[in-house]
Amino acid sequence: MIEHGPHKTAITLEVNGLPQFVDVEPRRTLLDTLRIDLGLTGAKLVCNMGNCGACTVLVDGVAVYSCLTLAVECEGKAITTIEGLAQDGVLHPLQQAFVQHDALQCGFCTPGQVLAAHALLARNPQPTEAEVVAGMAGNLCRCGAYRGIIEAVLSAAQQTGPQQ
Amino acid sequence: MTTLLGSSLPRPDALGKVTGDARYPGDLVRPGMLQLKVVFAGRPHARIVAIETSAALAYPGVVAVLTAGDVPYNAYGLIDADQPVLCGDVVRFEGDKVALVVAESQEIAAAAAKLVAITYENLPAVTDPRAALAPDAPLVHQHHGSNVLGYVPIRKGDTAHGLAEADIVLEGEFSTSWQEHAFLQPEAGIAFVDDQGRLVVETAGQWLHEDRRQIAMLLNLPVEQVVIRYATIGGAFGGREDLSIQHLAALAAWKLRQPVAIVWSREESMIGHHKRHPISVRCRWGATNEGKITAVEAEVIADGGAYASTSIEVTKVAALFATGCYEVPNISVDGYAVYTNNIPAGAFRGFGAPQAQFASEIMVTRLAHALGIDPVELRRRNIYREGSIEPMQEPLPPGVSALPVLERCVTEAQARFQQAARRSDDHAPGTTTFGTNGITSHLRRGIGIACGIKNIGYSFGFPEQATATVELHGTGTVEHAHVRVGAAEVGQGTHLALGMIAAETIGLPLDKIVMITDDSSEAPNAGSASASRLTLMAGRAVQDAAVAALLAWADEERPAQATVQFRPPATTPLDPITTAGRPNYAYGYAAQAVEVEVNTLTGQVQVLRVISVHDVGKAINRQQVEGQIEGCVAQALGYALMEHFQMRDGHILTPHFSTYLLPTALDMPTEIVPVVLELADPQGPYGARGVAEMPLVPLAPAIAAAIHDAVGVWLTEQPMTPERVLMALGAQQTKIERPG
Repeated sequence: MIEHGPHKTAITLEVNGLPQFVDVEPRRTLLDTLRIDLGLTGAKLVCNMGNCGACTVLVDGVAVYSCLTLAVECEGKAITTIEGLAQDGVLHPLQQAFVQHDALQCGFCTPGQVLAAHALLARNPQPTEAEVVAGMAGNLCRCGAYRGIIEAVLSAAQQTGPQQ
Repeated sequence: MTTLLGSSLPRPDALGKVTGDARYPGDLVRPGMLQLKVVFAGRPHARIVAIETSAALAYPGVVAVLTAGDVPYNAYGLIDADQPVLCGDVVRFEGDKVALVVAESQEIAAAAAKLVAITYENLPAVTDPRAALAPDAPLVHQHHGSNVLGYVPIRKGDTAHGLAEADIVLEGEFSTSWQEHAFLQPEAGIAFVDDQGRLVVETAGQWLHEDRRQIAMLLNLPVEQVVIRYATIGGAFGGREDLSIQHLAALAAWKLRQPVAIVWSREESMIGHHKRHPISVRCRWGATNEGKITAVEAEVIADGGAYASTSIEVTKVAALFATGCYEVPNISVDGYAVYTNNIPAGAFRGFGAPQAQFASEIMVTRLAHALGIDPVELRRRNIYREGSIEPMQEPLPPGVSALPVLERCVTEAQARFQQAARRSDDHAPGTTTFGTNGITSHLRRGIGIACGIKNIGYSFGFPEQATATVELHGTGTVEHAHVRVGAAEVGQGTHLALGMIAAETIGLPLDKIVMITDDSSEAPNAGSASASRLTLMAGRAVQDAAVAALLAWADEERPAQATVQFRPPATTPLDPITTAGRPNYAYGYAAQAVEVEVNTLTGQVQVLRVISVHDVGKAINRQQVEGQIEGCVAQALGYALMEHFQMRDGHILTPHFSTYLLPTALDMPTEIVPVVLELADPQGPYGARGVAEMPLVPLAPAIAAAIHDAVGVWLTEQPMTPERVLMALGAQQTKIERPG
């Protein structure tokens, strides 16, 4: 492991397919780096202690709470935020399904929900309903759009089919 | 007529919300803006002896430290302006604000805030509302003379006579705890002075024009010089009705003539904004053997906390609904909104109705059991009908649908719960279940039913209006329309619903309607996103303005424009002597049936099924009506079972989501069946009423009844946590073992 700190260190992150060079203190969270240093405000700061899931992003395809992840831990890793999901203006099937199934109200938890679902389907492309419920239990939705969220994930799984 | 109304069009803001493009208040904050940090009191009651700001001011990067003397008019509030923006002499609750640190970054502001040295002399705190009513209790507001913030008497008939008539009289005592809104988007906003010299505040809220009024007042500015703009709002639920940070950013930006941003952490949000009122109800209900409720006496005590907020209004609603949705000939209710040194309580989805009806619905079911009458049948015999006389002695507004809503709920429950019982024959509802080894299972199932009523719109004479402007553009025919209506989109879908009403009325496709809604200088005042009122009130204003604009169009006006202020039938203030009057102009009616499974070893209650029946008058957008019902059931479930906001000696014990638990997908029932009835309201656009709050009213008492059905004990404290369930089961066990 590379030694960092206490002062700012230059690190390279691959964010939504592009290399990003940032100078961060070792204590800086991935969430602050994304939101403040890189201006990617899709991931949300809600509880700052891993209770709610609104800051969920993908690190090498795995869903992490970016409020509990240090930026320096992600050096050289591929980070996907909600801004990186649609390709050339075409929504990802999960994003389409969230719109279609009204899987949101205020929308503040939505980026985290979509990315948590993305990671869930990556490791379990054809989940049962119970598996989706369990898989999404780390993401709070205070508007209570849970049925829509579960339906959206199940429908996106059907659309994309079993992945190789 | 098109088939637009009632369809399930997707919400137009969904695209920005799934791509991350939607900008919430905290996303507007950019480096370079000054950042604001609040110095909270951190103690329930104290006199401020000295505030020393020099060390904070000297900290590199600090621009200003503001205290009480910097506030032009240092009092604000939705109803009564009894809350200082910044406390100068006394602090009255933990979250009182004493100073503001403005600095070049959040980190600097936070570090410097710790250097603001405040010397306090602690005062005795009163944190129990009953204790606060004692004659020798410490006063929260010295000049007020007592801790009674508001007294709400309701009298109808003669309860002594009514109780004498009764064959059976039951007494009950109930209590509920605070509930935290827990909107996921913490309070945030930016304020700046624009090139026209106007103070602009970009933030989240529930009522543009009320935020503007309060901020203009405390800065001694004409309202036209203040502009409120709402960014995308991350939930509200009543929790953004009071000002939280909007006026703080405004004050700092106005003083310094520089853009100032503020973002609260979760802990600051928990401590900084008001909660749902804890309410205790002591009551006595009488009924005849024939199942007629003859009298209700009740005492309703609401802990209003340190400042007025909407406590008196909430207490009026709670007192009015102490008898639920039942016509009772003799009523005597004494409601008290009480000042304490706890966190202020105010608006939260349901606004006093859920607390009151937790008590009344359980009492009705207990009466039914005591009389040997089916709980549904007892409800049928007493429930509000067209022309029923309210507790304030006048007939209900027309459009009373309590009975058809109840009947539909019963029909659905009979069909669905029996199916469910057949599917799992070893888990028939209401019966003791057996495991395969023959011993009594620790999982018991039960079913319960409850009704609910909630007013739509403002009550008791509070001025009620909504204004909208519709402009029709085109050459030969109307090609597109601008709809101006200052209605807050908090996630409930009001912009889509209002757009659909406009499109339907004008006869245009929805994509030809431009909604102008989020700027107090661009859109007229439609009132708050609260009291389930926007679909009815703002919807009616939009409909009427569209009709008027079409008439202007027919008169060759180009573009044709009309502004309409819709006012519903007037309500009357509470007369403390006669207590007679018309409290509300419209109601929403609800009934719910639930099936639960109680774990007798852990006390945990899992809600398996919920049937939620609502008369919405007309579903403008069916998908979103169902979404409101399901979402509200989730919040009601948390309120009923899990969300235990706790204070001890004026200190919040549950300031995080790790201690204040919210329902996740795993906590949700396997099935929520939203049932939508469309029995038109006479006032509403196309007959529409509201629905946003109603599912929160019956769920907790329905769950309590289902728990009783499953294990034979009544839970009378909310939330019905596993500990409380176990305690009730233990008490029952003790009673069985030691009779008498």
